[in-house]
Amino acid sequence: MRPSLQSRPARLQLAWLAFLASLILLASLVTLLAFKPFAQDAPPPGTRPLVVFCAAGLRKPVEEAAREYQIVSGVEVQLQYGGSDTLLGQIEVASRTHAVDLYLPADDSYVHSGRDRGLLDEALPLAAMKPVLAVKKGNPKRITSLDDLIGRKLRVAQANPQAAAVGKITRDALVAGKRWDAFEKCIVVTKPTVNDVANDVIVGAVDAGFVWDATVVQIEGLKVVRVAEVEGVSATLSACVVRATAQPTAALRFARYLASRDQGAPHFSRHGFTTGGGDRWEPTPDVKVFAGSMLKPAVEETFTAFEEREGVTLTRIYNGCGILVAQMKASKDGPDVYFACDTEFMTQVQDRFGPSTIVSGNQLVLLVKKGNPHQIRRLKDLGKPGLRVGIGHEKQCAMGVVTQKTLAEDRSTEMVMKNVKVQTPTGDMLVNQMRTGSLDAAIAYVSNAAGAADELDAIAIDIPCAFAEQPFAIAKGSDFEQLCGRLRDAVLSRESQDRFRAYGFTWKAKQP
Amino acid sequence: MSGGAAKQHRPAWDWPFLLLLFVIGSTYVGLIVALLVADASFTTPGHLLAALRSKEIRFAVWLSLLSCTITAILSLLVAVPLGYLLSRWDALTEPALVVVPDGWRWLPRWGLLATKKLVDALLDVPIVLPPLVVGLSLLILFQTWPAARIEWLSGHRMGVILARGVIPFSSGLIVVALTRSILGSKPMAGWWAMLAFVLWWCVHLLFGMTPPGRVYESWLQTRFATPITYAVPSVILAQFSVSAAFAVRTMRVAFDQITPRCEQVALTLGCTRSQAFWWVVLPQAWRGVVTAATLAWARALGEFGPVLVFSGATRLRTEVLPTTVFLELSIGNLNGAVAVSLLMVAAALVVLLIVRVFGLGRAG
Repeated sequence: MRPSLQSRPARLQLAWLAFLASLILLASLVTLLAFKPFAQDAPPPGTRPLVVFCAAGLRKPVEEAAREYQIVSGVEVQLQYGGSDTLLGQIEVASRTHAVDLYLPADDSYVHSGRDRGLLDEALPLAAMKPVLAVKKGNPKRITSLDDLIGRKLRVAQANPQAAAVGKITRDALVAGKRWDAFEKCIVVTKPTVNDVANDVIVGAVDAGFVWDATVVQIEGLKVVRVAEVEGVSATLSACVVRATAQPTAALRFARYLASRDQGAPHFSRHGFTTGGGDRWEPTPDVKVFAGSMLKPAVEETFTAFEEREGVTLTRIYNGCGILVAQMKASKDGPDVYFACDTEFMTQVQDRFGPSTIVSGNQLVLLVKKGNPHQIRRLKDLGKPGLRVGIGHEKQCAMGVVTQKTLAEDRSTEMVMKNVKVQTPTGDMLVNQMRTGSLDAAIAYVSNAAGAADELDAIAIDIPCAFAEQPFAIAKGSDFEQLCGRLRDAVLSRESQDRFRAYGFTWKAKQP
Repeated sequence: MSGGAAKQHRPAWDWPFLLLLFVIGSTYVGLIVALLVADASFTTPGHLLAALRSKEIRFAVWLSLLSCTITAILSLLVAVPLGYLLSRWDALTEPALVVVPDGWRWLPRWGLLATKKLVDALLDVPIVLPPLVVGLSLLILFQTWPAARIEWLSGHRMGVILARGVIPFSSGLIVVALTRSILGSKPMAGWWAMLAFVLWWCVHLLFGMTPPGRVYESWLQTRFATPITYAVPSVILAQFSVSAAFAVRTMRVAFDQITPRCEQVALTLGCTRSQAFWWVVLPQAWRGVVTAATLAWARALGEFGPVLVFSGATRLRTEVLPTTVFLELSIGNLNGAVAVSLLMVAAALVVLLIVRVFGLGRAG
């Protein structure tokens, strides 16, 4: 039947109406999306949200801590969850155009892999996890040891050693204990994440599996079986600053909050993680640094950069090391960090500090006026009549101590000392006096002379003990031990090394 | 009975065959029901209520339903023309061959056939690709210059794009429909409609130059400007990338099943191709349209892999129901995960039933 002419427009309208109606529906749905009824409380204007990629398994503690941090700091924290490897992949692909500030992987294997790929910078330890054998609540199979599993050929799920640290860590421990081959025969399935293993145990698909101690606390329906073979093994959880972030300071501040023993750690321990050793929370911590004066030119730039990046204050006190040691002994309130000019002065207060790291070395030299008008070639020449000589004070600074040792070694103490007109607590003072012309020669560090090369000449002293080594140590019980650890890493960094060399120091430390 | 067979044949009641059908059919239906029952036994009404009380999960439900519906409409808008094109490929392209000399027609014909096969194969790519790879590909795509530029425009020039492009265009289509229905089948109706469309657009462009127009544009900008990656548009794009492929397949089959006879008759009666499409083919394909829409919608609701990679799983921002299930599962909250899954199943069943009853009921 041929449709009549009148009915045509009606037909047209029907199909068109459906099409137009779908367009209108589309528009109204998009409008609905734009007017979010669930919008989060608007962050204060001017602050950028902090984008945090978080392993899904850490959701609970991190979500709690982030909520609190948002209230305390007013910074919006956007948490994005996923598998650690997926998130790392996203960082690799998208960090150029999309700001990701912080990465919280499920275990430290991802930190290493992310650093190897140049994606991550600082890593702040948050908590630790220990592997345990988990069975279903009530232990229906009455498993009490690894031998039970192996002997009775029970079914085990194991986390993939390439993808999840718990798989790798337990495999390594069992291989070391020569139990792996037997245990491997029980493995009926390999799962990508620790939570997949836990879920399999809960639903009863397998009889047991290695998970983290924290997993058992977080996930209901599991029971821990102590297994001697994996005792003493643990993994660290860290918050890593993404290298491409546009706001490292804000990222580090939130990471410090998460890692802090009084703010972040309680959330982690509540969810079964082992915590301890975090810093005290302070939005802008003030770290007191004692450093030998001669180190000032070499470290000042590093310190300033560190302050800027971390958003902290480093209160530096530069002085002769003897004076610094005296100050420390006189007051209870010591520095958080001591960067001494010589190991001599570190040993005097070593009980207050943790193990020290030798960073650099400095050579003692003879400083003379440009062109060496008094023809000074060696130490003994300083005994020439009428010379005005300056040296470091043996009680006040490391340089003075090293100078005295060197003179004694050279058997020239008496000759030189009669010409010594001034003993100063720092080498810089000697350099200044040389420049004003009030001294003809001085014994100081080669680094002291680095800034005055156009006015002074440095003559090497070829005696083995004319050499000082500079140790860096962090105070025991400092409130900011982790922060100070990162300061040490900054001092040991490649850029810092270049600065030390530029000021005449020799480099002694290995890269962190 | 055999005596009266010539008059009226009543088929024998072949009960063994029917029983076989029932048994085989019920194994699969039984499996689905068993899965749901197992899920339901794993959770309690308390868990379901707790899930519904959570603001994050309510957001996920809301975003899921909205984004799936948008995805379904977008998929249809692509699937109907593409499905029709593929289905009537030869008939639609053949007239263009008249420009080619007689002896040489095999060459473009062969090229067209190869193109069709290639497009056909390409349409299977989103279906066969692992979902995570679809997400990863989208993520990588949006790091390249053209896509990053689109993202920039979406974030910085959305007001202008909407006010001078999208809104006049889509409302212009309504103007066209109105003009045509007023003019009916008067001569030149098509030309008048087109003129109205152009005028309508010009009015918008002129309005954009006035101060109130600028206020309007900046309002649109603040309201609708959005990044794409890791934001809601990425959810829709991720769902669309996969769902559209299913919708296209469905529409193509739907058009294939409609005999081209009616269209050809319409053409011989003086219809243009577009008139034949709107008046004859599309009303016949109504069932296919509804099926394609529901399939795309259901597919989008369950879509997870691409969303996780391309949109992330940010709570209250890009979290859809499958993401919630993943998040709950990854912290070992099996009860919560199952509760959300059941919620999803319930939502899907309700929507699909409504669409089937109303959509197909009318057309049937």
